[in-house]
Amino acid sequence: MLTVWGRATSSNVQKVMWAVGELGLPHRRHDVGGVHGGLDAPDFAARTPHRLVPVVEWPDGTVMWESNAIVRRLALLDPDRRLWPADAAAGAAADMWAEWAHHALQRPLIALFWAFVRTRPAERDAALIAALHRETVAALRAAEPILAARPFLAGDRFTIADINFGHLLFRYHTMAIERPPLPALAQYYEGLTRRPAYRAHVMVDYSSLVPTP
Amino acid sequence: MLTIWGRATSVNVQKVMWVVGELGLPHTRINAGGPFGGLDTPEFLAMNPHGLVPVIKTDDGLVMWESNAIVRHLAMADPGRHLWPAASPAGPTADMWAEWAQTVVQRTLLGVFVNIVRVPPSKQQPAVIEGHRRELVAALQTAEAQLADRSFLAGESLTIADIVFGSALYRYHELDIARPALPALSAYYGKLCSRPAYAEHVMVDISGMYVKD
Repeated sequence: MLTVWGRATSSNVQKVMWAVGELGLPHRRHDVGGVHGGLDAPDFAARTPHRLVPVVEWPDGTVMWESNAIVRRLALLDPDRRLWPADAAAGAAADMWAEWAHHALQRPLIALFWAFVRTRPAERDAALIAALHRETVAALRAAEPILAARPFLAGDRFTIADINFGHLLFRYHTMAIERPPLPALAQYYEGLTRRPAYRAHVMVDYSSLVPTP
Repeated sequence: MLTIWGRATSVNVQKVMWVVGELGLPHTRINAGGPFGGLDTPEFLAMNPHGLVPVIKTDDGLVMWESNAIVRHLAMADPGRHLWPAASPAGPTADMWAEWAQTVVQRTLLGVFVNIVRVPPSKQQPAVIEGHRRELVAALQTAEAQLADRSFLAGESLTIADIVFGSALYRYHELDIARPALPALSAYYGKLCSRPAYAEHVMVDISGMYVKD
């Protein structure tokens, strides 16, 4: 059985749990981080030098941190390579679009989430929020023609690229921000929301992250 | 023969070229980006819709962009798996430290580099540079602890973790910034500098890149 340490509201934990859910892996998850604390607990600190979630331990004793690397190992260990195709071209496309999603979308969108959702209204930096919103929308606009031409970010199949990209779309669609019409993206997101693993692990209420007034 | 598009002074190109050099792959590199331009031609955008270097094309026509995905692809395609061991636990360890090096070390180094090299002296903001430098040094202190009892970041041999981490160290040592004494890191950097592929592809003079007033 796989063990996952990390609170359900962490977007990086959500990537890992979504992959776990898609692959149907037996697992248990311990709430760690945020309001749950536990980053200094000996059994957690012994597994990572960085005091960050997620951390995963496999039945063979392998321990990993860094969500993208964990998702890759989960995908590589799957005998059917459902999330990271063994075919060279399809596999390369999945990994490069996953990497792109991490740099182009996750960075500005998570920064926007912190500056907007996780900051009290009186303390918000409007110029910073506007700049991060522009960067977020620019990345989504870059994805729009790709998603207009194929069902998933890296091709005809759901892959690690969709995990890295798609897990951010719940936050994007639930934050009180302006969203330009992007029909292919809207249709793609609607498709994700019908996946049971996405509903269970990504569409997680994050109101506990909002600071009290 | 592998073809690589990208200027030799791009740190993302350097990661790929260092791998090419370590693995001894026959290749041709075509200068693109920066003063060489060429990123907005239809031919280049057909390879990479994001208009960024590096881009590679393999013998069998596979085109890839995103340097970290390219590094993983080349490391996995190597039959000896020299840079990304197939066996557990060395493989997962290499990948998670590579991911850490990208998201923490390369990101903070870029903050220092851009604000010193890409901003003319009269417009530089010492407080901004210092903020990035402190974050970078904190990351290097984590690496110092990791390197205290091993030869390379993920163990006793050079892996993709060293490619992503080590490619930041030349610039760190070349920039005119305060560097705390980190003896294990210094010894490690000395070892990298004695590797022919590092000397050729990473230790690329940056003095011509400074923006002047």
